[in-house]
Amino acid sequence: MSVTTHPSASLSAAQKKKLGLFLLTLFILIFPYVHDNDGDIDSMANAAAYATLALGLNIVVGFAGLLDLGYAAFFAIGAYYYGILTSFQVMPLWSPGWAPLAALGLVEKMNQGGPDLVHFTLSFWIALPTAALVAAFFGVLFGAPTLRLRGDYLAIVTLGFGEIVPIVARNVDSVTNGAAGLNGVQAPHLFGSSFGVSATPYYYVGMALVALLIFISIRLRDSRIGRAWMALREDETAASAMGVNLVRLKLLAFAIGAAFAGMTGVFFVAKLQTATPEMFGFPVSTMVLVMVVFGGMGSVWGVVLGAAILQLLQSWFLKDMSGWVNAFGDMIGVQWLAHVDLVQSMELIFGIILVVMMLFRRDGLIPARRKQPLLNFEQQHAEVRRGGFVGLDRIPKWQPGRGNALEVRGVTVKFGGLTALNKVDITVPAGGVVAVIGPNGSGKSTLFNVITGLVHADGGSIKLEGAEILGLAPHKVLEQGVARTFQNIRLFPNLTVLENVLIGQHTRLRTGAIAAVLRLAGTRAEEARALRWAMDIIGLFGNRLTPRANQIVTGLSYANRRRVEIARALASRPKILLLDEPTAGMNPAETLELAEQIKSLHELGLTILLIEHKLDVVTTLASTVVVLDHGDKIAEGKPEDVRRNDEVLTAYLGRAVREAVKAEALAESANVV
Amino acid sequence: MTTTDLLLQQTINGLSLGAMYSLLALGFTLVYGILELINFSHFNIFMVGSFVAMMVLQALGIEGQSVILTGLPLIGTLLAAFLATMLVTGLLGVGIERFLLRRVRYVKGPAAMITTIGVSYILLNVVLLTAGADGKNFPDPLPPIQFAIGDAVLRLREIMIWVIAIVLMGGLTWFVGFTRMGKAMRATAQDPEAARMMGVEVDRVIMMAFFLGSALAGAGGVIFGLYYNYTSAAVGFNAGLRAFTAAVLGGIGNVPGAMIGGLIIGVIEAMGGQFIATEWTDVIIFSILVLVLVFRPAGLLGRVAPNKS
Repeated sequence: MSVTTHPSASLSAAQKKKLGLFLLTLFILIFPYVHDNDGDIDSMANAAAYATLALGLNIVVGFAGLLDLGYAAFFAIGAYYYGILTSFQVMPLWSPGWAPLAALGLVEKMNQGGPDLVHFTLSFWIALPTAALVAAFFGVLFGAPTLRLRGDYLAIVTLGFGEIVPIVARNVDSVTNGAAGLNGVQAPHLFGSSFGVSATPYYYVGMALVALLIFISIRLRDSRIGRAWMALREDETAASAMGVNLVRLKLLAFAIGAAFAGMTGVFFVAKLQTATPEMFGFPVSTMVLVMVVFGGMGSVWGVVLGAAILQLLQSWFLKDMSGWVNAFGDMIGVQWLAHVDLVQSMELIFGIILVVMMLFRRDGLIPARRKQPLLNFEQQHAEVRRGGFVGLDRIPKWQPGRGNALEVRGVTVKFGGLTALNKVDITVPAGGVVAVIGPNGSGKSTLFNVITGLVHADGGSIKLEGAEILGLAPHKVLEQGVARTFQNIRLFPNLTVLENVLIGQHTRLRTGAIAAVLRLAGTRAEEARALRWAMDIIGLFGNRLTPRANQIVTGLSYANRRRVEIARALASRPKILLLDEPTAGMNPAETLELAEQIKSLHELGLTILLIEHKLDVVTTLASTVVVLDHGDKIAEGKPEDVRRNDEVLTAYLGRAVREAVKAEALAESANVV
Repeated sequence: MTTTDLLLQQTINGLSLGAMYSLLALGFTLVYGILELINFSHFNIFMVGSFVAMMVLQALGIEGQSVILTGLPLIGTLLAAFLATMLVTGLLGVGIERFLLRRVRYVKGPAAMITTIGVSYILLNVVLLTAGADGKNFPDPLPPIQFAIGDAVLRLREIMIWVIAIVLMGGLTWFVGFTRMGKAMRATAQDPEAARMMGVEVDRVIMMAFFLGSALAGAGGVIFGLYYNYTSAAVGFNAGLRAFTAAVLGGIGNVPGAMIGGLIIGVIEAMGGQFIATEWTDVIIFSILVLVLVFRPAGLLGRVAPNKS
């Protein structure tokens, strides 16, 4: 390693980041003083508002991968919430019941020469957090019925809601003053003085809001919640099989995204002191989406930059540019150039940005994920350790319960007219290893799917340590202690080895959204424990995975991806591990290595149910073999017995071959005699 | 008017609107059936269609309501307007597919859908910047012939719309059901990979789906102009969203479903405007969209394309 003496290189990455943040903060703080132009400061405040919207949409689209095309609806809800409760639009008759609210300063009694009326005077500072709650409530309300839909359907339903909200605002004039918009919205007050007409106070509030939401976004992203969002974005089925409650986490993303928009609505309306339905239509939703796509979906700093660039492009650059072009047109006498307004072309530019970004740079200006460092030669060619797992001493032993870990009784699964499983019984004793074999299409994977709740059963019962788990949602099944791998590897492709394994622990950790943002000592300790456990599990595969812990799994070899999937399942500390063809596609050396590793898991006390085609693997590992054929269990017993079973031979090899094999065996025994 | 006459009148209006939505919904359904892609550019291909038709009619010397044609000149003019528009929008759709969407066709996630939103914005704003945002007086060469049924009125333009819609939809049904290319389209919708291995040129099939869908959207645009005597850059959004609702209602990916869905949405719009209130029509239609997606995502007639996720 060479040591550089360049001064800037002496700063660590973390120090550079801190310095950058400090300079940025300083610039934002002094900007209104060094650049005393109210119009430009106002543009910056608007940019801040759009940045907060982009941050909110980024949680929904970028983190959780739910395409929301009606995001402006929540912006509108926050805006009208504040607008109505601070203007003269809605004025019910005064009754003494209002007195307590008046005492709190939320309303005041007013007389305009008729009966006494109520004037709402909600403070901006109360409105900001409460609008977040109101919008989050609507986020859950709109989200709940739609979240079961596939991604593109969800997009269109959100678009529908996004249209309904402004139409309602336009049509209920008594509350919203219809298309004309709310009038006389109060400006915020701070320490008794009004914000007035200057843009500077709004600028500071806007920037503070951006800073707060960046902070919340980053804290959420780097937490159990953020990991679960990424998991469901990458692969919903795998996420739910790994314990992620899809509905709850999607609703959470919707609610938090909506809360950001609600707060922005309050800020925006306080700044403009009016609200009209046109401010919240589809073009606004699209514009925020453009900002997120431009900056980089899932990238917190990216979407802020995207919002800032696009907003300033619109309000500074295109305006100035129009001025120059118009002057030029005047000079050379071209009417068209003299009157063109480039700000009008903003939406055209939005469209072009969307298309160009999607075609050429889908990760946006600042991709959410940087490239991973490559392994060095030494790591790449590290010697393979044989003889089972390493570092087993760091893993506490599993304590198998007594009796049977898993009891499958009379389980039937039908797909249309096809019976994939027909009254199948399987018993896995605690601490045992049972293998399921059978020709392709015999129902092995369906068996795993029905145990883990991915497939609906048409009858029967599945008990885990005596408790019924049939009919539970996949994430509940995992929580009860059944973890699995998939035949065709379902890792979260764009996450690292470590992140994949951390997601396996989802149900074993408790951190919620609020704890993730506050990140108090308890949360930090839990996160540290989770990390240690994940590294211990990864360490079981020795130099196969440990040096690659921070690599994106897509770049790993096939065998390593299988190992990661097993590690991910193990991370949940299951009572029983379901392995679906763990050695498929591995070469003989790798197969042997993995078989030994599975064996050492068994020696640790873990109960294992295994689907496997390689009979030598089955013979070394399993004490009992169950054979399925066309959905029926045709044999069960010790591996060596099952091998000689007539029905098994027929199922695998056909009748003619079976006869030939038997004849050969007879001839052999005759020779011996 | 009596309630019966009102019902009859709004059914006439609704079926005319519905014919237009059906044509537009077919484009969504053809593309979705094959690519599982919601093509937002379709909204504004429709709008571009109405502008192209306006230019064609103006080029043929018809301005506003000043020229009234009958007989063969009328049929010839309409034929020219429809064919020219359908050719232009069809090629526009093919171009969008060939040069933009093909590059993101197999990208996981919403990239392709976001691209179509971008294209839709570009089409909208090119028209806005060149033709302006104001409403345009769409040329109307149709003679004011109408038939009274009780107090309800059936105008010539409605009969014309129905005839054209029936011809186009019949042609499409025949094409998809009975031609070699149609069979290839159905095969690709079921399983593009398998179709490719069986020798189907999937790229050509997809281009054909875009051509047909966009051409039908263009025809829808002409019908819009002739029905309302009006068009503007903004008409694509609402009509597009209604047509999409129609496609979902009928069962997206399902060709007869899109036709029936369109007619239902058209009648609902007409009845809602008459018996509830025009300003709530959109809310009613979007609510239908949401309700269908939530409670019967396969639509009335069911999905034809299998779930390829």
